[in-house]
Amino acid sequence: MQNQHPDIHELFQLYDTDILLSYKGPFDKLILFTLGTYIEQILEAEIATAKKLFKIFIELAQNIAYYSAETDGYTKGESVGIGSLVIGRYEKYYNFVTGNVIDNQQVTPLVEKCKTINLLSRDKLREYKRLQRSQPRGDRGSAHIGLIQVALYSGKPLDVQVTQIDDKKSFLAIGVKIQK
Amino acid sequence: MENLYIEGYRDDFFVPSVKFDAAAGKLEISGESYLEDTIAFYQPICDWLNEFLDDDTMPVTFDFKLSYFNTSSSRSILDILFILKDFEDRGGKLKVNWHYDKDDLDMKEEVEDYIIESELKINIIAE
Repeated sequence: MQNQHPDIHELFQLYDTDILLSYKGPFDKLILFTLGTYIEQILEAEIATAKKLFKIFIELAQNIAYYSAETDGYTKGESVGIGSLVIGRYEKYYNFVTGNVIDNQQVTPLVEKCKTINLLSRDKLREYKRLQRSQPRGDRGSAHIGLIQVALYSGKPLDVQVTQIDDKKSFLAIGVKIQK
Repeated sequence: MENLYIEGYRDDFFVPSVKFDAAAGKLEISGESYLEDTIAFYQPICDWLNEFLDDDTMPVTFDFKLSYFNTSSSRSILDILFILKDFEDRGGKLKVNWHYDKDDLDMKEEVEDYIIESELKINIIAE
C-alpha cells in the first residue's frame, strides 16, 4: 500500500546526530518569533552562546524569508520564503544549517561571496562588512551583510553546499558551527 | 521642540525604546531592534534628530543601550551616527556613550566598527 503521508520514520532516521531542532516550511514572522524565542532560551547553552545562536538564526531565517525562490502564502496575505533549518548538537559545538531553493543564476554570486568571506581574517572581514554597510540598501535589507555578520558571530568558515535541482533551480545549504 | 518617546516592546518583532528629551538634551535608545519595517521605524527618529540638532547649541548626550540589533537595523543606527557626526562637525557639543554587557564581545566589536565608519568619538562603556 502506498503511503499517503510523508515517511516520518525515514525522516527521523535521517539524522544520526543529536538534533535540537528541525523545521521545514514557511519562514514567516510567527515562525521566526517562535523558533527564535526557543533558541534564545535553550537552557543548556551559556547565555552568550544562546545569544549567538539566536542572532545567527535571525539573519539566516530572514535570508530564507526574503530570498528563497520557493514561496507560499501561509500567513494571511503575505508570501514568504520556504526553507529548512536543522540545529544539531555535538560535544563541543552546535551545528546550524539552513537550506532553501534559489535560482541558478544566483548560485555563482552567492558561492563567490561565501568564498570571499571564508578567505578573510576577522579584521579584514570587519572591514568588508563596513564597506558593504556603506553601500545603498538593497530592496529588503541586505543579505550580504547578513552572511558576513553570521561568519563574524560564528568565528568559523561558512560551509556552503549547492545541489542543482534542474536547469532553473538549485538547493543552497549554509552550515555554521557555534562553539559551546 | 517636543520630546520623542517610543515605548519598546516585543511581539513578533523587537521594538527598541526611544527617549529623546529635547529640553535636557538627553537622548537615549535602548532595548532590542529587530523590526518588520526598519526604515519606517527609524525615519521619524532621524527626522526628529535632524530638526533638533539643526539650530541647537545646547550640549547633547546620546546614550545607546541596545543589547541586540539585526543587520538591517545596523544600517539605520549608522544613519543616526552620521547625523550626530554632522552635528559635531558644525560645532555642536556632543557626547556619545555606548553601554554594552561586558560579556558581549560581538557588541564591543560592533561599536568599534561604528567608530571607524562614522569617525565619531564613542565612549564604550562595559557594564
